[in-house]
Amino acid sequence: AAGMAAPTMEERKACWGARDEFWQCLDSHGDDASKCEKLRRAFEARCPQQWVKHFDKRRDFLKYKKKLETEGYHPPEAAGKS
Amino acid sequence: WLYLRRQKERQQRQRRLRQLPLGQAGFQLLDTAGTARSKADFLGGWVLLYFGFTHCPDVCPEELQKLGRALELLEELDPALPPLLQPLFVTVDPQRDGAAALARYLRDFHPRILGLTGSPQQVKEAAAAFGVYVSAGPRDADGDYVVDHSVLTFLLDPDGLVRDCYGRSSTAQEVARSVKGHMEAYGALAA
Repeated sequence: AAGMAAPTMEERKACWGARDEFWQCLDSHGDDASKCEKLRRAFEARCPQQWVKHFDKRRDFLKYKKKLETEGYHPPEAAGKS
Repeated sequence: WLYLRRQKERQQRQRRLRQLPLGQAGFQLLDTAGTARSKADFLGGWVLLYFGFTHCPDVCPEELQKLGRALELLEELDPALPPLLQPLFVTVDPQRDGAAALARYLRDFHPRILGLTGSPQQVKEAAAAFGVYVSAGPRDADGDYVVDHSVLTFLLDPDGLVRDCYGRSSTAQEVARSVKGHMEAYGALAA
C-alpha cells in the first residue's frame, strides 16, 4: 500500500472529466446506467477504484440533496410532537 | 433549506470553536524537508491549517485550490498581510504521505503551502488536538483506501489561539475577508 503513488493533477483532472461525462450521460438518460456503459467503463478506467466508489456515493448524495431542495423534507409520520 | 443549512453550519462552527481547548491545540510534526516543526515555531505569525491527504478524490484538491485563491485575494486586499500568514497542509494519511509524497502533491498548489507529516502517533495527536475526525477506510485488493476526515481549515493567531475555522461551504473570498478581519482586529488590540 505504501508503494502506490497518489494520482497527479493531470490524472485527477482526467478522472474528474471522465466522471463528469458519465454523469452528464446519466442526467440525459434519467439515470439509466445501461445507456451509458461506454462512459462508465471510461470512468472506471480513468479513476482509482476507491475514487469510483467515492463518486458513486457522492452522486447518490447529490441526488438526495436535490430531491430535498425541490420536493422539501418530508419527515416520517411521527406519533406525537417533539 | 439552504438558508437553514448555512445557519446550522455557522452554529456548528461557533460550537466547535468554543469546544476547542484554545491555546492548547498543538502539534509535533515534520515538514517536507524533514525538519521538526511544532506549533511554537509558528507563534508570532498567523497560520491557516488544513488537514487532508494526497490520495483524496476531490475535497482536498478543491480546498487547497480555495486556500491558494484566498491567499491571492488577501494579497489583493492588502499586500502587507500574506507575509504574516503561513498556510499548512497536515496529512491525515502518514502511512502513504511521507515528505516526498507531500512535496510532490503540494507542487500543484500555492507555493507557500507547507506540508507536514509525522509518525502515525504524531499525526493522530495533531488531528485530535484540533478536534478533526479521521477514519481510514477499508483497503481494496490493491491496498488502496480513502481517509474520511473533517474538512476544516483553522486560523491560528500569533498567540497560537484558534480564531476561526472554515468548512467546505466557505468561499475563497469569505476566507480572505474573514482572515483580513481577524488580522486587523488583532492588530488593533495590540496597538
